[in-house]
Amino acid sequence: MRTHERPLMRYATRLLGNVESARDVVQDSFLKLCKQSPEELDGHLRAWLFTVCRNRAFDLLRRKDGQMGTLQEHEPAVEQIDTVAAQEESGLVRDQIAALPDRQQEVLRLKFQEGLSYREIAAITDVSVSNVGFLLHTALKTLRGRLGGEVAPASGRNQS
Amino acid sequence: MSIKANDPRLTQYALGEMDPKDAEAFEAQLDATARAEIESIRAMAESVEAEFAGEASSELTDVQRSAVVNAAAPKRTPRALPYWVVPLAACLMVAVGAWVYSLATAEPELYVDAATVAQDQREQILFTQPSEDPSVAVDGVTERASSVPVRMPSSDPVASEEVEEVELLEVGAHSAVPVTNPAAKNVESLRLRLLTYPRGTDLHPNTEAYDHLVENGFVAVGKRDVSTFSIDVDTASYANVRRFLMQQRRLPPPDAVRIEELINYFNYDYAPPASDSPHPFAAHVEVTGCPWNSAHRLARIGIKGKVMDNGKRPKANLVFLLDVSGSMDQPNKLPLLKQSMKMLVNNLTENDRVAIVVYAGASGVVLPSTAAANSGAILGALERLNAGGSTNGGAGIQLAYDIARQNFVKDGVNRVILCTDGDFNVGVTDRGQLTKLIEEKAKSGVFLSVLGFGGGNYKDATMEQLSNKGNGNYAYIDSLREARKALVEEMGGTLVTIAKDVKIQIYFNPAEVAGWRLIGYENRLLAAKDFNDDTKDAGEIGAGHTVTALYEIVPAGKSLPAQVDPSPFQPTPEKKEKGMETRKGLLQLRLRYKQPDGDTSTLMETIVEDGGGKFDTSGADLQFAAAVAAFAQILRGSSFVEGITLGAVEEIASSSLGADKGGYRAEFVDLCRMARQLRK
Repeated sequence: MRTHERPLMRYATRLLGNVESARDVVQDSFLKLCKQSPEELDGHLRAWLFTVCRNRAFDLLRRKDGQMGTLQEHEPAVEQIDTVAAQEESGLVRDQIAALPDRQQEVLRLKFQEGLSYREIAAITDVSVSNVGFLLHTALKTLRGRLGGEVAPASGRNQS
Repeated sequence: MSIKANDPRLTQYALGEMDPKDAEAFEAQLDATARAEIESIRAMAESVEAEFAGEASSELTDVQRSAVVNAAAPKRTPRALPYWVVPLAACLMVAVGAWVYSLATAEPELYVDAATVAQDQREQILFTQPSEDPSVAVDGVTERASSVPVRMPSSDPVASEEVEEVELLEVGAHSAVPVTNPAAKNVESLRLRLLTYPRGTDLHPNTEAYDHLVENGFVAVGKRDVSTFSIDVDTASYANVRRFLMQQRRLPPPDAVRIEELINYFNYDYAPPASDSPHPFAAHVEVTGCPWNSAHRLARIGIKGKVMDNGKRPKANLVFLLDVSGSMDQPNKLPLLKQSMKMLVNNLTENDRVAIVVYAGASGVVLPSTAAANSGAILGALERLNAGGSTNGGAGIQLAYDIARQNFVKDGVNRVILCTDGDFNVGVTDRGQLTKLIEEKAKSGVFLSVLGFGGGNYKDATMEQLSNKGNGNYAYIDSLREARKALVEEMGGTLVTIAKDVKIQIYFNPAEVAGWRLIGYENRLLAAKDFNDDTKDAGEIGAGHTVTALYEIVPAGKSLPAQVDPSPFQPTPEKKEKGMETRKGLLQLRLRYKQPDGDTSTLMETIVEDGGGKFDTSGADLQFAAAVAAFAQILRGSSFVEGITLGAVEEIASSSLGADKGGYRAEFVDLCRMARQLRK
């Protein structure tokens, strides 16, 4: 539970735009997990949790607004302490990510924040694997374009 | 057909998400533009990943969490945990790192608890790894680990990605059950099952980087009668090959196999220099039959550095330069790194000093140079390290060398110990700059040790180059056992350099030799004229180190294996080498070395005769070294060893174990067996 709690919270908070609702959705997801038979879930637990979490989040948003939810921007609660230069760089990347279409942001996060595979992302977001590939490719291409040729390689190994 | 920039397969390929078969076909279509595009995609992906890694995340409230735990509780008997708890427990190992940012900044008491639990779990796993059978022995986890078949068909992209993760649990387990012939449905269920295992943060699971090596071929003595190369005491390749075979259950990529590093992984019982010897090492040559070609001879050069007791070792001024960036956040990286360095610290004497520099988001000095007598402070600083953040490897290196200089001990051991997975933030394009920086720093009299950790995104090429340029040695640490070998058993060799820029040169006597081939050392070859050139850098040798080099020799009068037709204009050896002809002897061995703090080299030379020894009756050390050489060449796909099978290699190795302190040779026999199975 500890393992999945934070990634799910991060994901749900993104989807819902506030921590309180995210907590409810994540708790719900875990409670639902308790009712599952192990055999059914064996192996794809993580993808299952993300899927349930996503469905719950959208249910909640639909109930609230009567419309499909969207990814909302929120500032990370804690700023990373880093060198000034790195902050400038990361600020730039963050802004550009925020400017991407919601769909692309979501897939980008599942891939690069949660480390999920194309296949898992496809299962969670209910699109085809090739669609995931297309979204990711487009997102990265846009980012590269907007951040300029030299930015990407220079900051490229930030995450060593 | 060129690939367009808007082709999503570029990204799929760059992220290692492509089916290996498709990837191969795709690779063939790539032109320079497409490759540049892929590099750029990877760089961008890493920026994005770094950006995301810096984001904080919230947690459930304690009340909510208890509610979940309670809901799960009635479903199980006291002894049987829900099926997902066990993998989750294991996942805790990985989970910590995702939270490091919060650890440093948010309410500590919330996270410390979880971090401690995870730490305990890790330590248990690492510590309960017995030296004989390094399978995991933690209750529950063992069961889980061995009940999950980890052998995945290598053609499955998801599987190959997941195997990396299972390995974390296995910690070198030999007990994993390979699945043979899994039905398609089975594969799917296995893959899904494996998804619950800890997943690392590696962005490109299949982006291990190895420099391509072109195997040394036979050289006709008439064409060139001299061979020159730098010694190399590195052993990293062996441990890495072992990781591929025993943990990933697949054959290593040929370029991951550096023959000399496999041979030099093992200790050979060469006599050290006599106590009154003017030289810091002794060289021994033995000539015997070649086990893979009965017409050829095998010459072994064995070098043994003088032995130094830990107590008599000069004072050490060590700077640990530790990579604590996001990619190190895996159970086989940072936790293993911590344990390894603690082990080293526990074996230092009170005269030694240790400083710790980390590089990552909050890069800087974690511990100023501290006397090893105060080992509590050092161990505490190590314990508190956490992974996470963006990286500035270059600044970290600078800082580490500065501290080493500030605390320089004349006539002592001054060494930066770099622990990393090699994935430097400066990027592949800056590898040159990085090596230049290290090369510059090496002139300050500070030596370098590189300890490599982890896999999946392992940058072997970078690390080997750094250690070569930095007057250094390089070991790959895949387990606590390996850490013990490199940092405790061979501590003297790792820390104390007894000679630097050690070069070997052999003159072959055309009267007895038709041709020769140096086995391995491909990236250590020197031009003949570099031998006497003291400005040319070469390898270092540490206290107690053994270095072994093998030549396959075609005796005079025998024809060389056909590679190229001999030139009709080539002078015959007899005409060209009148002087040597009159002298007896198979070859002349020449060695040059410098004292660790010296600038001018000393020459050693000796003539070696072929006593006509037979392979079967030669010593166990020589037989074993030859077996390792054959094994490595087979894995590299060499055409020169077609005369021997892995089965025969295994036989030679198992009959030449000798005393085998530590069981390393016995383990090699296991590797042979595994390689044989995998090649079937």
